[in-house]
Amino acid sequence: MRRRKALKQMIFVAGSAIFLPYCWQNSRNSSLLLKHIAIDTDIEKMLLGLSETIIPTTETPGAKEVSAHIFALVMVDDCYKKEDQQQFILGLKAFQNNCNSQFGKSFTNLSATEKETFLHGLEIGKPTDVALAYFYKNFKKLTIQAYTSSKYYLTKVQVYELVPGNFHGCVPLKSII
Amino acid sequence: MGSKNTFDAIVIGSGISGGWAAKELTEKGLKTLLIERGRNVVHPIDYPTTNYNPWEFPHRGTVPLALQEDYKTVCKHYSFKEDTVHFFLKDAQQEYIADKPFDWIRGNQVGGRSLLWARQTQRWSDFDFEGPLRDGFAVDWPIRYKDLAPWYSHVEKFAGISGNKDGLAVLPDGEFLPPFEMTCMEKHFKAATEKKYQDRHVIIARCANLSEPAEIHLQQGRARCQRRDLCLRGCPFGGYFSSNASTIPWAQKTGNLTLLTDSIAASIIFDDKQNKATGVRVIDTKTNQVTEYFAKIIFVNAASLNTNLILLNSTSRRFPNGLGNDNGLLGTHMAFHNYRGRVEATYDGLNDFTISGRRPSGSLMPRFRNVHSQETDFLRGYSVLINSTRNKATIETGFGKDLKQQLQNPQWGNWQISAQMMGETIPKKENRVWLDSNKKDMYGMPQLHVSVEYDENDEKMLLDFQQQFTQMFSEAGYKNIVAKDTKRKPGNENHEMGGVRMGNDPKTSLLNKHNQLHSCKNVFVTDGACMSSTSNQNPSLTYMAITARAVDHAVSELKKGLL
Repeated sequence: MRRRKALKQMIFVAGSAIFLPYCWQNSRNSSLLLKHIAIDTDIEKMLLGLSETIIPTTETPGAKEVSAHIFALVMVDDCYKKEDQQQFILGLKAFQNNCNSQFGKSFTNLSATEKETFLHGLEIGKPTDVALAYFYKNFKKLTIQAYTSSKYYLTKVQVYELVPGNFHGCVPLKSII
Repeated sequence: MGSKNTFDAIVIGSGISGGWAAKELTEKGLKTLLIERGRNVVHPIDYPTTNYNPWEFPHRGTVPLALQEDYKTVCKHYSFKEDTVHFFLKDAQQEYIADKPFDWIRGNQVGGRSLLWARQTQRWSDFDFEGPLRDGFAVDWPIRYKDLAPWYSHVEKFAGISGNKDGLAVLPDGEFLPPFEMTCMEKHFKAATEKKYQDRHVIIARCANLSEPAEIHLQQGRARCQRRDLCLRGCPFGGYFSSNASTIPWAQKTGNLTLLTDSIAASIIFDDKQNKATGVRVIDTKTNQVTEYFAKIIFVNAASLNTNLILLNSTSRRFPNGLGNDNGLLGTHMAFHNYRGRVEATYDGLNDFTISGRRPSGSLMPRFRNVHSQETDFLRGYSVLINSTRNKATIETGFGKDLKQQLQNPQWGNWQISAQMMGETIPKKENRVWLDSNKKDMYGMPQLHVSVEYDENDEKMLLDFQQQFTQMFSEAGYKNIVAKDTKRKPGNENHEMGGVRMGNDPKTSLLNKHNQLHSCKNVFVTDGACMSSTSNQNPSLTYMAITARAVDHAVSELKKGLL
């Protein structure tokens, strides 16, 4: 019995552990403590806007609510090779420049419709700028990853069971939809 | 010789075989010192990630590049993820020299790789033990299936092995807990294949997960496997067998075990006057201090390559080339398993069905090549691990509300099936390990040269596997069949074996039929290093059985005053 109690406590402790994957800094220039790439508050705001355009908040949470842009930055900073990080940053700058020359203002200052128009162009147009295409493709991929692996998604949309308890090799689809 | 440092028995290594040695020795009343180079990992409190949900990992499973830099040998291995990284040895903690490409996968804690293994536990048969004699390679095994069968039963009952009694000569039945279920896809493949080929069988693989625990497992404080399939994080339920959850706490309960962690066994002390081994020199990894420990018998279970290293490093006047190495064969005839082949396919049938929960195992096709006689242009054969699943998938095109709509409504994809080859390799003299005469690792231990590679036989076997499974999948009506050569390096499959092989003749082997060094009978080697040939089945269960059998002999000899 004592062991069972210890086990229960252990599960409680581990299960309630809080992860702090990134730290906030009180600096105007850099809101995120990243090790390899430099991101200022304007860029961070722009990336938040981009992630919201990719997966908008509707009656259900979107990219913003799962902090997808922060996850994307952490992944690029920690898990991308140096040359890929450079390409990502180059593409990010090209994204900003492209937006400025097309609309005469930054992505953050675009209306929702303008943002969609800009992204639509990136989706259907053939990417002339390799770095821009790389940035958009990877940021979108990471935004989707953040969303589909978020607590929201895995508890409300496709429910992840930490402890399934059983395995069945053949169940009718009808029984689980 | 201080009594504080003197024991009845010393076991080097607390992995899957060392844990068994400790359990059996302490149960038989021997005061036993268990030496482990890594840190302590106590079940179930030292499994830090075991109850994390996917979103609780900052990188969702990917190990950051800066951390990967410390683990270049293991970082490409499937088991190396954000949830398991703390269970592996860093490159810098034991450098080695791969003269040919070789991935030396090492745990670095109490329990070793028993925390990280794939838990596949098929018995070997006389088709394996008689292989070298029949096909004229390596050296004849000094034991046969009948010698090991009762010990297989002994370890299976305690470890808890799930499986089905299939009645196949090539894969003897054991003491099984209820089997896990095959998927309908696997049953479909079984029906299609067994109808066409009389000698090919698809069965549920036997594995060391407690499908339903028996009384002996509850006594160990272990509970039913919860079908999480998160085994490699360490299981809080003790749902699978590891030294940590099973043999070590059991040994501790006897009151006869002393566990010495953070301690590298540097060499075995040989006493010329007594003409036997008397103890082990141990390096404390925190202080670098060397301490000697003494015992009547010594079990070397440091995991194949490190067992070779320790014996090679145990030189004395009597054994200038390494302990027990009179014939110069120590470190030679290394072998492994050929895991390069993989065939994948999809099936657009069985659309009304899927799976639920997660299964910590798979299905298996036991060896069917060259079983009763030589019938191909390569020696030996392969068994195949078969897995299948059906997932929901999302289309990730566009952006905005359309994309979100797609992400929120994942659709069922087709069934997917995969076949993973596990091929026997032929132990050869030129596949060997030896000590570098100058280079040392950070603890002052000599660096190990590893020169082990695939040969023509492996290439032919790989091709045959790819052809046979492409054909069988095609005959079963599957589509999108892709046959891969994953180019996995030797060692990456975790099944390195040999170097201290068993045999009848001291001229051609290092160990006798009871795993004693021919020329130093109170030293026993019962991990992968002792294997004379490799079979095509995962070897851990056989290490366990060989270990329990050797301990039984050791203690009986000790009682007779013969050691």
